[in-house]
Amino acid sequence: MSDYSMKDIEWAKINRDVLASLESPRKEFWMVLSVCVLLVLCGAAAEAYQYNEGLGVALMNRPHFWQLYISNFVFWIGMSHSGTLLSAILLLTQADWRKPIYRFAEAMTLFSILTAAIFPVIHLGRVWNMYWVLPYPNERTIWPNFRSPLLWDAAAITTYATSSVLFLYIGMIPDLAICRDNATGWRKKLYTALSIGWMGRASEWMAFRKTYVLLACFLVPLAVSVHSIVASDFAMSIMPDWHITSFPPYFVAGALYSGCAAIITLFVLLRYVFKFEEYMTTEIMDKTAKLTFAIAMVWNYLNLGEYASIWYSNDMFEKEVLLEKFFGPYHWVVWGMLICALIAPFAMAFKKVRHNMWAMFWLSLVLQLGMWLERFQIVSPPLASNHEPWTWAVVWPGTVQLTITAASFGWFTMLFLIFCKVFPSVSMYEVKEMVFHRRKASSRTDMEDLSKVKDEMIKTEEGLS
Amino acid sequence: MRRRKKHFLFGVYDDFDKARDVVSELKVLDLKEMVVDGIELYSPIEHPEVEEILGEFHQPIQRFTFFGAITGACCAFLLVAAAAQAMFTVQPQGGKPVIPLPMDIVITYEGTIMFGVYSTIIAFLIYAGMPKRLKKYYTQKVSEDQIGVEVQVDPAKSDKARAVLEKCGALEIREVTQ
Amino acid sequence: MTLKRMLENWSDLRKQDYYEDEPYMWGMSIDLNKCIGCGSCVTACYAENNLPAVGKEHYSTGHAMHWMRIERYWEEPEGEADIDIKDSDYPERGAHYTPMMCQQCNHAPCEPVCPVAATYHTPDGLNAQVYNRCVGSRYCGNNCPYKVRYFNFFDFLKDVPHPLEMQLNPDVSVRTKGVMEKCTFCVQRIRSAKDAAEDEGHRDYIEDGSFKTACQQTCPTEAIVFGNLKDEESQVKKLWASHEVELNHFEQDKSEDVRGYRVLEELNVEPCVMYLDRVRDTEA
Repeated sequence: MSDYSMKDIEWAKINRDVLASLESPRKEFWMVLSVCVLLVLCGAAAEAYQYNEGLGVALMNRPHFWQLYISNFVFWIGMSHSGTLLSAILLLTQADWRKPIYRFAEAMTLFSILTAAIFPVIHLGRVWNMYWVLPYPNERTIWPNFRSPLLWDAAAITTYATSSVLFLYIGMIPDLAICRDNATGWRKKLYTALSIGWMGRASEWMAFRKTYVLLACFLVPLAVSVHSIVASDFAMSIMPDWHITSFPPYFVAGALYSGCAAIITLFVLLRYVFKFEEYMTTEIMDKTAKLTFAIAMVWNYLNLGEYASIWYSNDMFEKEVLLEKFFGPYHWVVWGMLICALIAPFAMAFKKVRHNMWAMFWLSLVLQLGMWLERFQIVSPPLASNHEPWTWAVVWPGTVQLTITAASFGWFTMLFLIFCKVFPSVSMYEVKEMVFHRRKASSRTDMEDLSKVKDEMIKTEEGLS
Repeated sequence: MRRRKKHFLFGVYDDFDKARDVVSELKVLDLKEMVVDGIELYSPIEHPEVEEILGEFHQPIQRFTFFGAITGACCAFLLVAAAAQAMFTVQPQGGKPVIPLPMDIVITYEGTIMFGVYSTIIAFLIYAGMPKRLKKYYTQKVSEDQIGVEVQVDPAKSDKARAVLEKCGALEIREVTQ
Repeated sequence: MTLKRMLENWSDLRKQDYYEDEPYMWGMSIDLNKCIGCGSCVTACYAENNLPAVGKEHYSTGHAMHWMRIERYWEEPEGEADIDIKDSDYPERGAHYTPMMCQQCNHAPCEPVCPVAATYHTPDGLNAQVYNRCVGSRYCGNNCPYKVRYFNFFDFLKDVPHPLEMQLNPDVSVRTKGVMEKCTFCVQRIRSAKDAAEDEGHRDYIEDGSFKTACQQTCPTEAIVFGNLKDEESQVKKLWASHEVELNHFEQDKSEDVRGYRVLEELNVEPCVMYLDRVRDTEA
């Protein structure tokens, strides 16, 4: 029963602890936030420059029509995966260690989608016409082209973004009610509006639970489909080393992998900053790390399996690209990826590492770096050595692209920081449920023990007589 | 016709088991004297066992989900198929048919999920009766660690119900007519 | 209404070869043994289609806009880096030119990937690019195995010094930044020829050779032949037939002395341009 060292916490204390995290932020908070805002402003300036001059200033060219924007897009979409997907899967399998960590993981999902959604937009040549991608009726009967994987992307991401916002929001309503009951001023108004009159009535709880499980049932296949559709951007093309059958599952595994790493990073930070040691326990970290390790192994397998299939098919173009990847101009990206994302996760096989918060923190950053490099090596090297040798060229992303990439990290952090101060980043009601059920279960085991003793007494009595 | 005024009693307890006892006692009372018009529990966490006490809730949310998802699939497929041939110039592309079925599967899939999720949310709002204003007797204690029992009673016989609520160890009782 | 139309034409809309009964399909044949790599086709294309001359700097960063380009491949005997070797048995070794432009594939991989349907197949077999509709996602450029789609990374023709804008071809639109473009088989010439044929009363027939594409017109060795592949009498069709290149075949059964092939035929993209070259064994 002592799976978790989470003690029997007073419910009122749970409220106090979590609501304390919403209180007026410290100086450090404003410092980090202003750095983030500054990064976002730099990114906006770079985008304005690119908007006025044309995409050439991003140093993309023919054949490098796509570059860092797309690999960042894949990276952020990938990061968005574990939050909602893991939360939904763990909900359906009734793994209750999800309860203290799912809220911030889902928020991470939402904000990384919001970050990812920027990239296909600024990547467009004519940003000002981007609404043409939407299927709106018009007098010229012009419609978008639903055959294009980019449209599938748009559909999948819209569905995913709205569904995970709703999933996050629905799961947060009881907590918003708690906030409402304890808040004053503008916060009171905000929480009153958002909690839409939740009072914790039995009929509300029943409808809530049913809805929550139904949403989770949708979100699992949805999340899988979203990243396989992102993979389709590549897999549906004709390019060597993009046109790979195993790309969709490979992308989904990679997405879960980098998302889990991001969860670990934020886990350690929140635990440290908000002093959530009682909720985000070492045992939960241990379980998260084990899960990450398992996903890392799936990703490893799919990654290496892809090389095997190229080696086996002996396809001229694919083999060329593969050799170029390992020994060509982009070789350090590929080797960097292999070291950071393929070898580094084996550290999680050791209990000492899994139980050391800061070791996990740095490890998770290494894993994310590896996965970021992985996205770059998916996009760029195949373009550099395509079907047409005359166009082969090596291009590295320029200042504009790098600035916007840095800005995307600032944007994500900014949103997440604001979220942490406005919304409870640990689910209060679910932690209460966890405590309640554990208390009940432990009292039940006590009773079972008693009845055993009683049985034995009866037996001995019978034996005596 | 003038709306009949409703009379509510609201008791707060510090334990779920006490609230359970109150509800069963109220039911006994109701059998005898027909005083209770409705009972509702307010709690900070979900208790799946309330259905055993309060009777089953009729909340067919999954039906909304099911039909929403089917509608979504049909709408999405019709949208892609119709959009492909509604272009001012019918567009054959890549030597493939104008309405390519394998490609439409993806959008159909997304449409299914999208409508399924939305209709589930709508059903949730309907069956949870939200959004709504807070009740006058609502206390923030029930969002923290206490259980509230709301009883709608015949105003003339509210004393009896009140006695039951008190007997089971209510921390506080609020009485409201509206 | 749309729905009714869709249901009525369902079998048509599900057909693979939607333009089967159309009278035109434009095709080309380029004889690489005749090509001397002079680049006059490139120049003609620049002049005809309002292509911007991007300058040395942009050219070196890969932003050139040459719809028609001469790819030069230098053949070296295996194992020896020195190209000045005396190799009298194979005098043709050395530079090797391939004029490369949009192959107007019938199974074009660039078409279905466009999110806004800015590129599609026209009834006369052209791979059309609608500049006005393009939003610049550049997916088509990636998915083109020949890499013959060119993206306006800058607004090249924005500030043309005064008299120079007079040399722009009024029949061809000037593209702005953020738009993809590519060889059109000189669609403006095709259109005016069609109009002329219609005026003369034969809508379904254009006399072979009554008009030429800019590159064909300029080629000093007449290596480029252009025409209607559905016209049995046209020169290009005859060339295709004599070199045993057929549409809808990606593994051609070749006799000894024919030279026809299509570039990257094995990808099954059905290009409409046939190249003529004797395939040599470089290791011999």
